[in-house]
Amino acid sequence: MAEDYITDGMLETFLYESSQLLEKLQELVLENQDEDYFDDGAINEIFRIMHTIKGSSGIMMYDNITKATHRLEDVFFCLRESHPPVDHEKLCELVLEVGDFVTGQLDKIQEGGEPDGDEKPIVEKVSDFLTKIKENIAGKSDKAAVKAGEILLAPPVPEVDEESASSDEPQKYYIAPVATSDSKFYHIKITYCQDTLMSNIRAYTAVFSLKEIAEDLMYIPEDIITNESSHDVIMKDGFAIALQCKESKEKVIELIDHLAGVEKIDINEVDSNEFLAGFVPEEVIEQREAEAQVPQEEKENYVIEKPKAVKKPAKAAPKDLQSYISVNIKKMDVLMDLIGELVIAEAVVLQNPDLKVPGLELANFNKAAAQLTKITGDLQDGIMRIRMIPLANTFQKMKRIVYDTSHKLGKDIELEMIGEETEVDKNIIEHISDPIMHLIRNSVDHGIEEKEDRIKNHKPEKGKITIEAKNDGDKVCIIVSDDGKGLNPDALLDKAEKNGLLTKAREAYTEKEAFNLITLPGFSTKEQVTELSGRGVGMDVVVKNIQEINGTLEIDSVQGHGSTMTIKIPLTLAIIKGIVMKVASTTFVVSTNSVKEFLQLREQTLHKQPDGGEFIMIRGDSYPVIRLKERFGMKDTPDSENAILAFIEHEDKHACILVDELLGEQEIVIKALPDYMKKVKGISGCTQLGDGSIGLIIDPGVII
Amino acid sequence: MSDMEDQDKMEAPVQDSNKQKDRFMTFKCGDEYYGIAISYVEEITTIQSITEVPQMEPFVKGLINLRGKIVPVIDVRIRFGKEPIPYNDRTCIMILKVKDTLIGLIIDTISEVVNIPAEEIVSPPKGEKGNGADRFVYGIGKVDGQVKLLIKPETLIFDSPEEESEEEICE
Repeated sequence: MAEDYITDGMLETFLYESSQLLEKLQELVLENQDEDYFDDGAINEIFRIMHTIKGSSGIMMYDNITKATHRLEDVFFCLRESHPPVDHEKLCELVLEVGDFVTGQLDKIQEGGEPDGDEKPIVEKVSDFLTKIKENIAGKSDKAAVKAGEILLAPPVPEVDEESASSDEPQKYYIAPVATSDSKFYHIKITYCQDTLMSNIRAYTAVFSLKEIAEDLMYIPEDIITNESSHDVIMKDGFAIALQCKESKEKVIELIDHLAGVEKIDINEVDSNEFLAGFVPEEVIEQREAEAQVPQEEKENYVIEKPKAVKKPAKAAPKDLQSYISVNIKKMDVLMDLIGELVIAEAVVLQNPDLKVPGLELANFNKAAAQLTKITGDLQDGIMRIRMIPLANTFQKMKRIVYDTSHKLGKDIELEMIGEETEVDKNIIEHISDPIMHLIRNSVDHGIEEKEDRIKNHKPEKGKITIEAKNDGDKVCIIVSDDGKGLNPDALLDKAEKNGLLTKAREAYTEKEAFNLITLPGFSTKEQVTELSGRGVGMDVVVKNIQEINGTLEIDSVQGHGSTMTIKIPLTLAIIKGIVMKVASTTFVVSTNSVKEFLQLREQTLHKQPDGGEFIMIRGDSYPVIRLKERFGMKDTPDSENAILAFIEHEDKHACILVDELLGEQEIVIKALPDYMKKVKGISGCTQLGDGSIGLIIDPGVII
Repeated sequence: MSDMEDQDKMEAPVQDSNKQKDRFMTFKCGDEYYGIAISYVEEITTIQSITEVPQMEPFVKGLINLRGKIVPVIDVRIRFGKEPIPYNDRTCIMILKVKDTLIGLIIDTISEVVNIPAEEIVSPPKGEKGNGADRFVYGIGKVDGQVKLLIKPETLIFDSPEEESEEEICE
């Protein structure tokens, strides 16, 4: 049965490809949501996406996905054929709903479960919609209605296992090698794009598509499903099909043309003798060569060249022309580790004590060494850059959020995106998505006013939310702004006072401080709690999430003109600049950001409090002194000659930590302590230092 | 998934379970020889600089940098409640992979890989409490008249130290 040939690789490819298609689908819908209709390109594209997902989910035996996509495909087929007037908004919703349904099922599959979602409600919805369109068409043109009707009557996609060929229902699709007078014979050759994965499965999809019309069908290689190495054969020689059917060449091409990964289709009409003679590969090759010379004039040959990037055809923006591969992050981590090793090995060689022998002539060595250092540096940079991914995807998601929430609230809002190509570390992207989503929701819900209010205030009826990303030194700024009503500092203060959140006299609050009140836990300005926001959790969670990745949130607002939220986050979490210090025999690292200054111990006087706590006076203020040895319960050794006080700051708290020796500043790659080590309070991770030893990273927030 | 397998192959080329059956890596700690099933053993390195981590159990000596991987190491002598001795050039770190955790054991001297078929393994004596280390030993292997104490790394590494605190360090 089918399960026998469904391999993990197939599943992976299916999931990857389908999710790509769904993303594309969502993008398409959101792009066109403000128009009154889908243009032909979009209709075709959605049709193709649905058809492909239908086909591949059919192969994978995910029935509910197949059914849902099949029905939507019917709708778009109908739209494509007869362009009936439709309720565009409803259609957009419908497409997104089907997309969400499939995405949900894919998620289930990804997590190893069965896609058991019930497709019936959604299929019904789509069917209703289709019926309505059909009625419209019926009024418009009988012919089109017949066509649409036909497609409606088409039975669901047959199960794709070979054995059931002999059973009752799917039989009509299977080979009936009786040539009638109007049967036509074709030799088809499909060439797949260079980077196509699992071309044997794709070839099967093509065969599968053709079976619907085929009277007789043969293909080479024959063992595409059972033999994975047939992939290589197909990639090398193409996939050859001999087809007998009644359909026109155009119809045949249409059936297989849209399948993913297809680069080129050669189709030849032949007579029955040639057909029976089977494949003559040489001939095909000759023809292909001939085509290369006179591609357009060839009478009996159709050559369809497809753009290379099949997944993102048509309107492909320049950035889409780049080719991407997806790599398991574990492989990248291995690479990172190896580079770290390389850098250390390099240091060991270049600073080898053997080189210190007096009288050595090292000019050439040094030249070569400098070159090596440069290359390893570049390599390290390059690896780091691989981890950087653009914010575009995250921003795309926001489009959907705006669409959903604004529809629910009955507001008309457009979202402008600027700088979505800005890149940040992958880890950060994962953390940033939720906070941005929250800010956007807040803007839609609280920021942008109702239509009537906007008109009263002489603002354009349509609200506008802008999301912008830009680089700012070693930080990335993400700015969410709206042209809504803005924040009212007085109202905020009132509210905070009522909730007992004020910590000082009301008059002492600056405007900015008043804005920051909204980030306090338990603060919500909206009088009525809505479905979307206003539960009083929100901004404080946003701030917490942002702080987790060492980011900050700034709030700015002009009453009546809108507000601006700026998130500042570091480019990467993985690398920080750190001060390396030695305490007894252990090396510690503190993030350079939190160190304000260094003081030499011997020039300072430490004061002792009665309880034994020590403090130091700096410029008239007192600050506690933390002895790391004591704090971490390490062996006590006398203060060293070079003992240093590092003045560190975390948020508003300050303290001095006493260390034995200052070793220098260095870029460090943060690693977690191995799980085996129980969590040590005050140590947030460890890192590999230049000499290969390990430093422990101090978490200033906990230490102070 | 396949990458993980690749990686495993890379690190432990002899991952053939048939070949590994009944094979033990033996090492010396104090006067006795101990054995650990070879399927646990990733590699063996010489002693290298260890970064002390504060607030750890006494037998957790700290972290080493194993080609970019940061690996905790524990001193088997201290774990067995014996007097620590200074490390010398015969001291080794045996890197084990136990339940997906990499961990290093500091041992006095590495010995050899021996074959101990199941019928040559007897249970350790019961009842009498030894030096507190006996609970790590699950079997006694007999090889050419010699005796190897066979250890389950899981107990050695993961057993919570609280249980043993009374019995430990009584030698």
